[in-house]
Amino acid sequence: MSLREPVHRVSPRARWLWAIEALLTAVAGAAVLAVVELVSPLDLPWWVWVLIGAAVAAYVLVVPQWRYLVHRWEVTDSAVYTQTGWWARERRIAPMSRIQTVDHAEGAVARLLGLATVTVTTASAAGALEIAGLEAARARALVDELTLMADAVEGDAT
Amino acid sequence: MSDWQRLDRRMLLVHPIREVVRFLPALVALLVFGTTSGGPAWHYLGVLVPIALGLLRYLTTGYRVSGDRVELRRGLLSRRVLTTSIDRIRTVDLTSSPAHRLLGLTTVRIGTGTADDEGTVDLDGLPIERARRLRAELLRESPVAAPDPSAPPLAALRLDPRWARFAPLTSTGLALGLGALGVLLQGSTLVGDQVLHLDDLADDASGPPAWWLVVPLVALLLLVLTPALAVAGYLALNWDFTLRHTPPSWHLTRGLFTTRETTLAEARVAGVDVVEPLGLRLGGGARLDAIVTGVDRGEDGSSLLVPPAPAAVVDGVAAQVLGTAAPVEVELVAHGPAAVRRRWVRALGPALSLLVGGVVAVLAGAPPWALAPGALAVPVAGLLAADRARALGHALLDAHLVARSGSLARRREMLGTAHVIGWTLRDTWFQRRAGLTTLVATTAGGRQAVTVPDVPLEEAVRVADRAIPGLVGQFLR
Repeated sequence: MSLREPVHRVSPRARWLWAIEALLTAVAGAAVLAVVELVSPLDLPWWVWVLIGAAVAAYVLVVPQWRYLVHRWEVTDSAVYTQTGWWARERRIAPMSRIQTVDHAEGAVARLLGLATVTVTTASAAGALEIAGLEAARARALVDELTLMADAVEGDAT
Repeated sequence: MSDWQRLDRRMLLVHPIREVVRFLPALVALLVFGTTSGGPAWHYLGVLVPIALGLLRYLTTGYRVSGDRVELRRGLLSRRVLTTSIDRIRTVDLTSSPAHRLLGLTTVRIGTGTADDEGTVDLDGLPIERARRLRAELLRESPVAAPDPSAPPLAALRLDPRWARFAPLTSTGLALGLGALGVLLQGSTLVGDQVLHLDDLADDASGPPAWWLVVPLVALLLLVLTPALAVAGYLALNWDFTLRHTPPSWHLTRGLFTTRETTLAEARVAGVDVVEPLGLRLGGGARLDAIVTGVDRGEDGSSLLVPPAPAAVVDGVAAQVLGTAAPVEVELVAHGPAAVRRRWVRALGPALSLLVGGVVAVLAGAPPWALAPGALAVPVAGLLAADRARALGHALLDAHLVARSGSLARRREMLGTAHVIGWTLRDTWFQRRAGLTTLVATTAGGRQAVTVPDVPLEEAVRVADRAIPGLVGQFLR
């Protein structure tokens, strides 16, 4: 008895989204490092720099691909099922009857790429399901669909 | 539609005094400044400002229960009206500080399940009888019924003062004791300097201060006073602790100086949580929390069902609250060798690397005591790993999910499956390789989730599928 993966992948452009976000983080980190180096040189041996560079390169080039392979989602009549993460994989299932809010968000980079994030929350603070990197039109349709379906179920969702 | 009601007139005594206390520094400054500057004694009128504020607070605060809503209004310049629907009320708390009790008053706190302050309605200062009537009124229309005074309540628990022996074994008890000790010591050094002239004593001994006297004295103080103060704190907080069951709600009273009555809607009790921190467990004790939907840990104390007490008592109450003893007593399903191995690796890894670091340092010329941290850490980590491995377990029976884990803060959580509002399966690459996953049942109360760490993947899916039939089943391979 084992769980299969959710059916749908997110948009292939999500890889670019994650790569750009990782790059921005890396640039910010490099800026901090540069300032530190200017104020008081760290005198690190050359191989430490090589290691740092390799880690950052992997984070910017490999991790987004990895995320894309993991990120999946599915909505059925009675449940929402998502799979996210990369090193640590997280699979979340929430019954339709427990859905409280459906959120639609577009970050700055995501808007540039025409992507959006849909977040489904339940009454538990530990139970939000996030689908990142959806195509904007698809995300909007999904929000409408989820809102209608969650509305149709009775109860106060706690 | 009923009219706005005022708080009790006797709060006219409490509010101004409280405001005076709050403005005390400003008032003292005003008085000192006024006296030294001479002139007519206008400055004494400064006292009137806080008194007027207190009066205004009384005049501008009102509440009403109308239809299916409770409304609280307050404020003079920025007026706020808080409205809460009665069927969203989860808990009603009556808290009486010593000042309130002197006047026969109490504070009514209405918990509605939102974590922030915006959602709770506080009515500070109602006569105790009126407060109880209000509680009855609020709870009659909600899923909670008011405690019926005519029916003899089913006393589930009454505090035995001997249980205070568990207080020094808990971290809260110790913190309480140490805090009180700190205050005492500060006071005593002030007194000591003035009365005993400790400096003179040191001079008399003609040399450095008598460390051989001071160190054992402080140690003795710590060893004797901290537990004593922890016991005193426990008794003050939990004096006359009584848990009653008046279907369909749980009714809880406690307190020596500040008394507190809490009413929990039975339908909102999603489960219980037997908390056994290491010290308490070694002493044969435990604590019981209720997992109440809509009440999170932020609303402190609202979810405590049994203060530190003998484990058998805690288990008994847990069974009564759940309505079935099986989840409390059942032998848990162990998670297998892979999970045990993971406990050992995770505990021993850091300790061993500390040891290796020490060895490398000593080889590089550091003094031999650099080995000490590692040498100490390894056996401690070993004990921790063994205890964690033993604790790990889960079960699903009688419509309850049971999960136990941890060592220093071990808990056995029992959650009604009807209150599970979602599943999370989290696994890192290491866990996937070992065929394990961390199963999390999310819920709307307590710690928001019950976690079953490192359970074999197949078993996790089976548990989730059996707990809520038809949910996980559609995603099976």
